[in-house]
Formats: sequence, C-alpha cells, structure tokens
Amino acid sequence: MGVNPNRGVSGFERSGNPETPNLSVEIGRILMKNPVTVASGTFGFGLEMADFYDLSRLGAITVKGTSLEPWQGNAYPRTVETASGVLNAIGLQNDGLESLISDKLPFLRQFDVPVIVNIVGHSVEEYAELAGRLDKVEGVAGLEINISCPNVKQGCLVFGTTPEGTAEVVRAVRANTSLTVITKLSPNVTDVVSIAKAAVDAGSDALSLINTFLGTAIDPYKRKFRLANITGGLSGPAIKPIALRMVYEVAQSVNVPIIGMGGIMTAADAIEFLVAGASAVAVGTANFVNPLAAVEIISGIEDYLAKMKITDVNEIVGTVT
Amino acid sequence: MKSVYDCEIIDQTEVAPNVYRTRLIGPQIARESVPGQFVNVQVSRTTDPLLRRPFSVHAVDPANGIFSLLYVVIGRGTELLRHIRAGEKVSVVGPLGRGFDLGDSPATHIIVAGGCGAAPLHFLCDALCAKWGCESITVLAGAQTKDAVICEAEFRAHGVQVGISTDDASYGYGGFVTQLLEQYLRSLPAAGRVGEGSRIHDPQSTVHNVRVYSCGPHAMMREVARICREAGVSSCQVSLEKNMACGLGLCMGCIQKVKSRKSKVGSAAGGPNTRHPVLNTQWHYERVCADGPVFNAEDIIWE
Repeated sequence: MGVNPNRGVSGFERSGNPETPNLSVEIGRILMKNPVTVASGTFGFGLEMADFYDLSRLGAITVKGTSLEPWQGNAYPRTVETASGVLNAIGLQNDGLESLISDKLPFLRQFDVPVIVNIVGHSVEEYAELAGRLDKVEGVAGLEINISCPNVKQGCLVFGTTPEGTAEVVRAVRANTSLTVITKLSPNVTDVVSIAKAAVDAGSDALSLINTFLGTAIDPYKRKFRLANITGGLSGPAIKPIALRMVYEVAQSVNVPIIGMGGIMTAADAIEFLVAGASAVAVGTANFVNPLAAVEIISGIEDYLAKMKITDVNEIVGTVT
Repeated sequence: MKSVYDCEIIDQTEVAPNVYRTRLIGPQIARESVPGQFVNVQVSRTTDPLLRRPFSVHAVDPANGIFSLLYVVIGRGTELLRHIRAGEKVSVVGPLGRGFDLGDSPATHIIVAGGCGAAPLHFLCDALCAKWGCESITVLAGAQTKDAVICEAEFRAHGVQVGISTDDASYGYGGFVTQLLEQYLRSLPAAGRVGEGSRIHDPQSTVHNVRVYSCGPHAMMREVARICREAGVSSCQVSLEKNMACGLGLCMGCIQKVKSRKSKVGSAAGGPNTRHPVLNTQWHYERVCADGPVFNAEDIIWE
C-alpha cells in the first residue's frame, strides 16, 4: 500500500553507492535530482499531492498556470473522457500571482525540489510583468512560458502558433528575468520545429513539449458538444505517439534541453521520450489515474538504468537510432 | 489520510434493478472515512476507460475493515465495475473530499434522498444515530418507482422515522420527496413553541433547529435548498455530483459556482478589477471533489 520506502527513487539519496545510476539532469540552471517533473495543470500547487508522497522526491514541480490577476476559467462541463485520453477546457482558472506568492509558494518551499512556475497572459506585457515580478521570488527556479493553452480565447495560443509571436513573448520574458526560461510548445501548429527555433533564438534556455491537442467530443443522442467551451485539449496515452514524434523532431533541430511530455503513463513511456531526445520528462494525466505515477516512474527509470548497466541517465538522451 | 489502496471485493449484490452494493476490504478507508466522502476506483486495468470512477462511501464496518459502495449501472465504468468478481482486487484512492458536518448541538435531523443519492446517506444516518441518537432523525427517500426504492430496510433498521415517495405513486407517498419535505417542515412547531403531538424528538426543536442533509438529482437538491431557505431551517447541506477527471482537486474540472462571501475571485489585489472587468466578484468556482462534494446549500449558485 502506498509508496515502498525501500525503493530509492532519488539518485542523490544513495549517491554513495556506485551501483546506483546517476539520475540528475540539468534544465538550464535548474538542477533536477531525477529527470521527472509534473505537467502544469495536473498537479495543482502540490498541496493535494503531499499526502501521497514526499514532494522532494520529484525532479521538479511545475505548478498550475498562473496569471497576473485571478482567472475564473471556463464554464462546466470542463472535462470529458475519450478513448485512452481526456479532453479538458479548464480555461486556466487560477487565483493569480499574489496568491501564488503569498499562499502557494510558502508551502512548496518546505520541500527540497525546484519549482517551475507556468506563466500565462493575455498580452506580451502581461508575460513580461509576470517574469519581472517572479524574478526574485524565493523558491522559484524557473519559468515555463505557456503560449500553448488551447482553451483561452485571448492571448496564449495566439502567440504560440507563429515563430514571430513566440519570439516576441520569449524576448519580453527573457529581458525581465535571470531565471531559467522554458517555453512550452503547442502541437497545434504546422511546423513545430520553426517555432522551437524561434523560442531558442529569442533566449529560451529550454523547451517543453507538447501541450494538449485541440479536439472535441459530441453526444450523438443530444447532438450537443460535451464541453461548454466546445473544444478542449486532448491529453493521455492517446497522444503519446504524436508527442514523441514532435519531441524527436525538435531535439534534432535545437541545442537546448527538452522536457518531453504527452501521455506518459509508465517508466517505459518516459524512457522513450528520453531516448527520443528529451533531457527530462513531465508526467501529466497519469497523476489523475495513479497519484503515485510520477514516483513510480522515477523508480522505474532507475531500475531500467541498473538493469541496462547504464551509470548516468544523460547517456541515453537522444540515442534513438 | 488519503492514499492508494488495493482493495479486495468481498461481494457484489443487486439490491434493486441495476443497482449494486459492493463490499470491499479496506481497513484504512473503513476507519478514516466520514459520511459524504468518496473513493476513486480504477475499474479497468487498461487505458480505456482511462480515468477512475468516483463513488461515495455507502457504509463502513471499521471493526472488520470493510466498506461498501452503492451504485447504479449507468455507463461504461459502472458496467465494468459490476463485472469484477468477488476475490479480485481493485485500486482505490481515498477517502476523498469533504463530508457532512454533523453539527455540534442537538437538533432535528432530516435526511432527504433522491434515487441513488441514498448511497452516502446510509453512512450519514449511521453516524448521526451514533452521535445524536436515532430518535432525532427522519429519513425521506424518493424514487421514480417502487422497484427503484433503495436502502429502505437499512434506514428502518436504525429505528429512524422513514418516509418514502415514488414519482409514479407505486409505493409510499405519490409525488416528489421534496413535497414530503415541505409537509414535514410544515408539521414542525414555529419558533419558540412546541406543538401538541409533534413528532419532534427534542422538545427544544423548532423549524429553526432543523438540520437537513440531502443527496440526489441536481433539480431535487435545488428544490430542497429553496424549501429549507423559505422555511428558515438552520442548516441545509447538499452533496453534489459532477463529472470528475482526477477527484483529487488537481484538474479543476468538476467545478460549482459558489457565492463569494469574501470575494475570493476577482478582488485578490483589492478594489475593483480593472484589468479584467469580466471577472465577477459575486461568485467563484469551487472544486466539487476537493472543496466538496458536500456544500452548504445557501452557498451554492443554483442554476
């Protein structure tokens, strides 16, 4: 029941043991003790998950998208289950930056884990202001620029679908912060590589991909959309092959670290992303299905490396042939 | 504390057409759950269906480490659950959510159940009996037809007063359970007086010392809330049902509009929100899975 404490999941905890492979990776200036973080919006701000395991076991925590002011989000229904996936149209409901700083970050500072704040805005100026105001906040290791949420009508994905829009937001954030900047890319584009390159050229230290795929679901009897927002973002194992292909393509084209995500349910899924070229991975929808998914994946990666006699997880990154 | 447990199914019994009671071995859940809380059950070992299914805790037997669920087979998830055999194990996350507040002084307790909404109210009735005595409790349970009436024997076994209604008048009172509630409240003495021949156990009870607990279809609970408000009952709690993705408070999917008594949303920075005037300060969304599923009826924006 629960987590087996004997299965070490952190490379650091047992670093004295030569048989324990190194799991630590670097994403920009963020040192992760293992290559597993959680996907923004699938982990809240950590509070609800702290009952399940010690959050310090994670490589990093990427918190829910945060805007300058509180956002109310979309109407209900916001989620619908589809074949091996979930469509969501939450609309980035969040309590805003002040609440993040005063209510949420103090809780997360108890844990020995880097915190990545996912930032979201309606305009370039809002992204820039968020970056500036978070720059010197204690307990923030990096910013993930969310220009890929498909469920907000104004801003967000508007920037992420063109290289120019992407570059404009990334430059504005870069100019206002010395934190590690990660740009989260949308799969809802024709050429993800051109957008990835634009983000890197504009100063992004790393990339995370992918966000959800735009989709919808219809009730055939009522002949009505199942989501109040009509469309939503698809996540879960249904999207993994496409996510993996995009991570591979981007990894071939840029020289910054990638956090890969999209339907990772198991350690084997995570390792696929690593060998495709991601330096780290994010566990998302799997947290909903199995609250222990992220730590079980960390254990599984460690077991895999030991079994394959690989001493450092970085050795497998991008090694697919 | 909530956690992930592998729970063996002891048995599954069809208690009414298409309604099943499942008993599971889960000592921690049996011991730690409070009425109104729920568990999230993995009904499939594959990725389709992907998500767990939430079920309220129907009964607990902490001495024997057993808890029960009661559910209507309504879709793929419940159909899969129905076919899991005794002796097999399922992954259960729980206990989850916030349950009913049982009060901190004696009162007249009225439980209003609609259809399968009786599921968590059996557990509640048990706890209220233990805390306040079964004499202080009345259960009003409604169903569409006589066949669909569930938990009547369990409620009667407590020795509480029980009123049954059916929509088609095939059993008990012919009509809605909300009409039974209205009649019952009307029979209570007005504030400050105890009526002759009153059915109220506690002689101090008036309509202002009544606590109502309800679970059932949304429209029924909205009507329960209206009746309670107009009658001036002191407390009315409702257990809401929404489609959930995570059940843990992570995804913000299962939201309910709730009155912003403290203007939680839209005024965090103080003063009017000029940046996003679209933000409403009269209400905000709360998560049914983590902030509920039990809410004070007066806090809900009923739509």
